[in-house]
Amino acid sequence: MFWHNYKYALRTLLKSKSLVFWTLAFPFILAILFNLAFARLHDYDVFEPFNIAVVNNDEFEKNVAFKTAFNTLSDDDSDEQLFKTQFVDMDEAERLLDDDKIEGFVYIADAQPHVKIKTNGTNQTVLKSVTEQVSQTATMVEEIAKSEAGNSEQPTMQIYLNAMKIVSEAEPNIKEDSHVMNMVVIEFYTLIAMACMQGAMLSVELTNRCLPNLSNRGKRVAIAPTRKSTTLSSGLAAGYTMLLFSLCALILFMRLVLGVEFGGNIWLIVLLAAAGSLSAMMLGMLLSVALKTNEGAKNIVVVIVSMVGSLFAGMFGGMKIYFDNMLPFVNKISPVGLITDGYYSLYYYNDLGRYFVNLGSLLIISAIFFILATRSLRRSRYDSI
Amino acid sequence: MTVSRAFWKIALKNIGTIITYTAILVTFGTMNMSANNTSLQYEARKPAIVVFNEDENVGITKSFVGYLEKNTEIKPDYKDDDKLKDALFYEQVILVLEIPKGFHQDLTFGNEPEIKMRSSAGYQAELAKVVVKRYLTTATAYAKLHLSEEELAKRVDATLANETKVEIKSKVDSAKYGKATRYFSFANYTILACVITIICLIMISFNRTQIRKRNLVSSIEIGKMNRILLKNCCIYAVAVWLFYLALGFIVIGGEIMLSGYGLIYAINSLLFCACATTVAFLISQLVANQNAVNGLMNVVALGSSFLCGAFVPAEYLPDSVLAFAHVLPSFYYVDTNNRVMNLESFDFASLWPIILNMIILVGFTVAIVIVTNIISKKRQKIA
Repeated sequence: MFWHNYKYALRTLLKSKSLVFWTLAFPFILAILFNLAFARLHDYDVFEPFNIAVVNNDEFEKNVAFKTAFNTLSDDDSDEQLFKTQFVDMDEAERLLDDDKIEGFVYIADAQPHVKIKTNGTNQTVLKSVTEQVSQTATMVEEIAKSEAGNSEQPTMQIYLNAMKIVSEAEPNIKEDSHVMNMVVIEFYTLIAMACMQGAMLSVELTNRCLPNLSNRGKRVAIAPTRKSTTLSSGLAAGYTMLLFSLCALILFMRLVLGVEFGGNIWLIVLLAAAGSLSAMMLGMLLSVALKTNEGAKNIVVVIVSMVGSLFAGMFGGMKIYFDNMLPFVNKISPVGLITDGYYSLYYYNDLGRYFVNLGSLLIISAIFFILATRSLRRSRYDSI
Repeated sequence: MTVSRAFWKIALKNIGTIITYTAILVTFGTMNMSANNTSLQYEARKPAIVVFNEDENVGITKSFVGYLEKNTEIKPDYKDDDKLKDALFYEQVILVLEIPKGFHQDLTFGNEPEIKMRSSAGYQAELAKVVVKRYLTTATAYAKLHLSEEELAKRVDATLANETKVEIKSKVDSAKYGKATRYFSFANYTILACVITIICLIMISFNRTQIRKRNLVSSIEIGKMNRILLKNCCIYAVAVWLFYLALGFIVIGGEIMLSGYGLIYAINSLLFCACATTVAFLISQLVANQNAVNGLMNVVALGSSFLCGAFVPAEYLPDSVLAFAHVLPSFYYVDTNNRVMNLESFDFASLWPIILNMIILVGFTVAIVIVTNIISKKRQKIA
């Protein structure tokens, strides 16, 4: 009887356009939207030279350090090119800045470099930082040359050349241990978590079918000579199959087509999705029996639970860590938070400890939801409907 | 009157859902704005770093830490390494620096002590590295002169004190209005989701086949009924707008909200609210199932928010996406919010692009009303 019900439950689910949309189409639409919106955020390490101007007044022409540095950093053929520079007079530089043709301009007045910008920004900070570095390096060469001049009888030019050599060879002993990680992947992980949460909607629909107070079908199921547990479990198993199929397709689509990194092996990724969707199914079952209202309102509650969970997990451009610090318990009990954190730990952490904590939490939460839902279902008695 | 009464009767029947959904979505927008990833929108702020100093705080080490305090925001030590790793990933901490024991002596005597550095990804991390490397390079170069530790620290400090003067031409503090822009741009999602879901929830009752047929044979004209329904939908939409605006006073502050900038944000969001109402009204004419409405609402609200720069700043969106976004009303709404952030004066020339965006929004609203009426008339014939 289980497999007979399972087969028909699966067929009815696949015929429900809205459920097919939510489970099979919606996560894919969102994944494509995410990929479009975050496409340029992937390019963390790609630096594009930007437009600036340098005022080529007399002071600039006389300042060898600045002239050499800005010519080198603006060379189109150089790998070190930082700027696309226009060498113009002051009025033209002001005009270019007003017309947003450049990010800022540099001029030298009273032997001091000045940077003029319109608003603050990353490129403006780079311009200021580079100008400052050129100025400080020139000071350093001057200082070292002055010190050396007292102890050496070499010609001035040679002393300056030596000073420049000392500065250029000064290389601090820094050991960098940086993994370039892409924060954007979190958005895709929350999306998988949100897709798992569609299980709650499937579960609400399937549980409602067995509730006599909601539909005529429920009444028929209640008086049928089949055990309620068989009807319900076969329906939920059918929903779970459909959801798992959709999730596996989504993960493969993200990994192979969109190039989202997950780290870890594929089985751990699927295992987490399976545990996540199980917890969502159990949550849907619990909400369906606990909320004494119509199907539409139940679905809205599921959507709200799913969206709030997604918000706390870091979807919609927000930051998971902000909510982790503000309300740490939410992401520890929310299936969306646990799934997202599980994928994050697979991607970012070398050991699997945190991953298994998340996986275990999801299974415990599923068990709690299941026990609460079945206790409520078993007590249902109707004097009249 | 009968139509309005029926509208609000249905609304009252679903009042629990309406209040919960509206409150959650509006609060949702407010919370998300507070948690927004500011690293995507650069503001002039010092990079946040964590320093583990195992050396004595004397001589060149003291000078180095002083330099870092001046040029970066030093966060307190993280006891839990997992929390530190999380903070690095989410760019709450940009760089972690470990100063080894005996650093001051080794640096002074030219022994080149090893500094360990961990950083996050992105521009902020690169800029933080530049700040750290600049000090260490300067100190390493001066150390070749075999100076005393005191003299070395003095020389390094003097060289690095030579900072470039920066003049900012714009009189507008865009960082100040950036928060307000983020708040109102996120409203693209909040307003669309709220208005579409709730209006469709009510309108579906009017569009059930039996009730629609009954309404069609009644004495009231279909156009007049649509107008009355739309008017009542607008009343709900204005309530959502007022709620969002009231929360704006708390989140953004009265100073901005009561200024000319606040007025433009408010007018823009009101016009968008009107446009969202007509979109909701159109969807309610096309779809008769709450599940389908939820699906469409998410595609419309999330789709337009992602494609038009409500969630991710427009400058980070690919050009092709932005070009497509021009056909959506959300683009003009978000674009106005972005323009307000950099508005320097309130003369006609500066305001014209904003006025033009608002005219386009009104154009979208009128066009959607016309399309809705045509569809409604066609459905009348089919029925």
